[in-house]
Formats: sequence, C-alpha cells, structure tokens
Amino acid sequence: MAAATAVTDANFEAEVLQSTVPVLVDFWAPWCGPCRMVAPVVDEIAQEFDKKVKVVKLNTDENPGIASQYGIRSIPTLMIFKGGDRVDMVVGAVPKATLAGTLAKYVDETK
Amino acid sequence: MDNATTHASEKSLDAVRKFAESYAKRTGTYFCADPGVTAVVIEGLARHKDELGSPLCPCRHYEDKEAEVAAAYWNCPCVPMRERYECHCMLFLTPDNDFRGEQQEIGLDEILNMR
Repeated sequence: MAAATAVTDANFEAEVLQSTVPVLVDFWAPWCGPCRMVAPVVDEIAQEFDKKVKVVKLNTDENPGIASQYGIRSIPTLMIFKGGDRVDMVVGAVPKATLAGTLAKYVDETK
Repeated sequence: MDNATTHASEKSLDAVRKFAESYAKRTGTYFCADPGVTAVVIEGLARHKDELGSPLCPCRHYEDKEAEVAAAYWNCPCVPMRERYECHCMLFLTPDNDFRGEQQEIGLDEILNMR
C-alpha cells in the first residue's frame, strides 16, 4: 500500500528531482485547513498511481528552502515533477478527479 | 516558536474565534462543513497573532513573515476576502460553495477538543 511519504529540503534532490518516475509533491503546512482536505486525496492518488508515480509531501514550515525555491505562495500547492523539471501545478483543495486527470498527462503507460 | 506542535494561547484563540464568528455573520459567509478545517485555521491565525502580533493567513508560504505583517495584505481578513469574498483558507465560504456548512459559530471547547 503506497502512501505519500515525507520529503525535506535535504532529500528533495534525490527523492524528487532524480526520480525515474513522475513525482507529485504536496506542499502543505500544519495550520492550513484545506491541506487537511487534500491529504487523504493525495494518499488515494498514491495508491491509484502506485509504481507509475511517486507521491510525496513537503512541510513548508519545516522546509522553507525548497518551498521558496519553487515560489510556493498559496498552500496547499500540488506540483508535478518529471525528469527533474516542474511540469504542472494545481493550487488549492481540488477534487480527486481533477488531480488524477492532471497527473495522467505525465504518466508513461508503457512502464 | 517555530515548533509546529506549539499551540496558540487561549486568549488569542478566543479572540480570533470571536472575530471569525462576527465576520462570517457580517459578510453572510459560512464555516466549512468540516469543523476540523475551521478549527485548524483559527488556531493558525491565533498562533500568528501570538508570534507576530497580527493574524497572518496560515495558508500561505512567506519569505519573511514580519515583512508580510507590515504589508498587511495577508492579515486576516485579507484583501482578497475584503474585496471579493475569496478565502482560499476555507474559513469563510460563500453560500454557493460546495464545501460550506450551516454554521457561523464555533465554540472554544470545540476547537480545544480537536487538538
């Protein structure tokens, strides 16, 4: 059972930028209400896209370096990385179908 | 003070709670159907009030919180809320919002019990 794992400023490069599969990053903060609504959706996505997409979460309070580097402003922000590049972004609490649809564009079905 | 597990003072928590109730009623907006969202946002605002002196929006990432407080744009109620009833933190939801509940009130006990 895949669930979103935590990444930090320290391992973002290895876990996200050097990933061989696309990565969904959930930028969240502890006192952000809508982040609580998005978290279970992100976990469901992790299961649905198991092995095709890596799903991780980054606490912006504890990891301000990466959050600032990618210009995170509104939280939650969900960012998709492929081959080390940011390729798409969804801001705010979105329905699962919206997120799955966005993510599907970057999944290589041959793998 | 940066510890994510640090809770707001009860004084600030109650002040922000009362503000949120009166502002919802005044603007005809409602709290989220999930009271956990409301409680977390009120706690986040109260923590910023304790730390920074102003209830800076807890649903943003800032390079410099002190500078943001001075700029006032994201102090609750923020400019987008005052101008367009847009609260991306989902504290104040307009009547047509799918996520809104029926409440414009939340008890202090209710917030404390959700910690």
